Amino acid sequence: MSSRLILLSITVSLAFATAPAFGQKFKPPEGPTPRTADGKPDLSGVWDLPYVPDMSKTGPNQKGIAELPLTEWGQSQWKNYHPEEGDYTGACLPFGLVRSINSPMPMQIVQNNKYVSLNFEVDNWFLIVPIDGRKHRDQVATWAGDSVGHWEGDTLVIDTVNFNGRTRLDTIGHPHSDQLHVIQRWTRTDLGHIAVEMTIDDPKTYSKPWKNSRTFTLRPDWEIMEYSCEENNKSLWEGRIKVPKY
Amino acid sequence: MKVKIASFLLVLGVAAVPALAHHSFAAEFDGKKTVKLEGALTKLEWTNPHIWLYVDVKDESGTPVKWQCEGGPPNVLTRNGWTKDSLKVGDQVTIEGWLAKDGSKTCNARSVKLPNGQAVFAGSSNSEYK
Repeated sequence: MSSRLILLSITVSLAFATAPAFGQKFKPPEGPTPRTADGKPDLSGVWDLPYVPDMSKTGPNQKGIAELPLTEWGQSQWKNYHPEEGDYTGACLPFGLVRSINSPMPMQIVQNNKYVSLNFEVDNWFLIVPIDGRKHRDQVATWAGDSVGHWEGDTLVIDTVNFNGRTRLDTIGHPHSDQLHVIQRWTRTDLGHIAVEMTIDDPKTYSKPWKNSRTFTLRPDWEIMEYSCEENNKSLWEGRIKVPKY
Repeated sequence: MKVKIASFLLVLGVAAVPALAHHSFAAEFDGKKTVKLEGALTKLEWTNPHIWLYVDVKDESGTPVKWQCEGGPPNVLTRNGWTKDSLKVGDQVTIEGWLAKDGSKTCNARSVKLPNGQAVFAGSSNSEYK
């Protein structure tokens, strides 16, 4: 476990060590929060998401909590996680909700008065969040869970349940169960930023809910690009990455 | 031209695992085993989910030994100004990285440099302002 923590610390350091050798320092656009015709904040745009490989750490544009309140079951899931024995993301299985948002690749939001569509570059997955007042659907549990959203003032609250429990929260592998309930509060504080507060509520894995906060940054100069985990996944085909057994 | 393999605990700031692996680095590579490869590029695959570099590295007897090294995702590299033409077949490169756990001649590239010291495919999706 400690070696993984060391690796993550090192990862953060490299993020700075490998700063691009060229290019101007990017400044997000400035201005007031844009709004739709019905007066709601308009979250549309291509957003740079902070890479969050370890939700217990604080990094650029992201704040974690140091001690995750793991239950005994959660501890056993954490201690016994060995990605070399099975890595679902390396095997191109769905990242799921939280790990998609934690990924280092951008996301485009498209919004109308009934839906907010989250279009992730990572493996080009998308997630459509109804915001028309409907309740959670009663359906088979899924990798990304079932999301519904509603406005609380200028904050979009996305509530997600009904996960299949097969994903990990972050790259380092923090666990969750099928009892996971994720509450996200997204507030477009100005033209260039969305402030995000994510609450992880999973009584089987964590003894109490905990939060992670971060900031999405608008990138008007970016477009979402094609991305395929399957295209040339030599690591899987040549046996260095293994498909997990569920 | 020879392969140098070091096996030791990495010291923070001296060497580092890639910042951009969207999946678990530890699933495939050993962060305690570094490698430095010098040789000629024989192929570059500019493909998702990661680019791959193929290099012939001469062993002690001068016999070329084929190595393959994983680089960053092409989307991230593109946003940082790199293209599939940033390296050409035949270019002499020095790759530093980490070895695969399975013992194959596979590495995860931390840095790729040309003989004049210029770094190629450096940069990260942690954008310039961070």
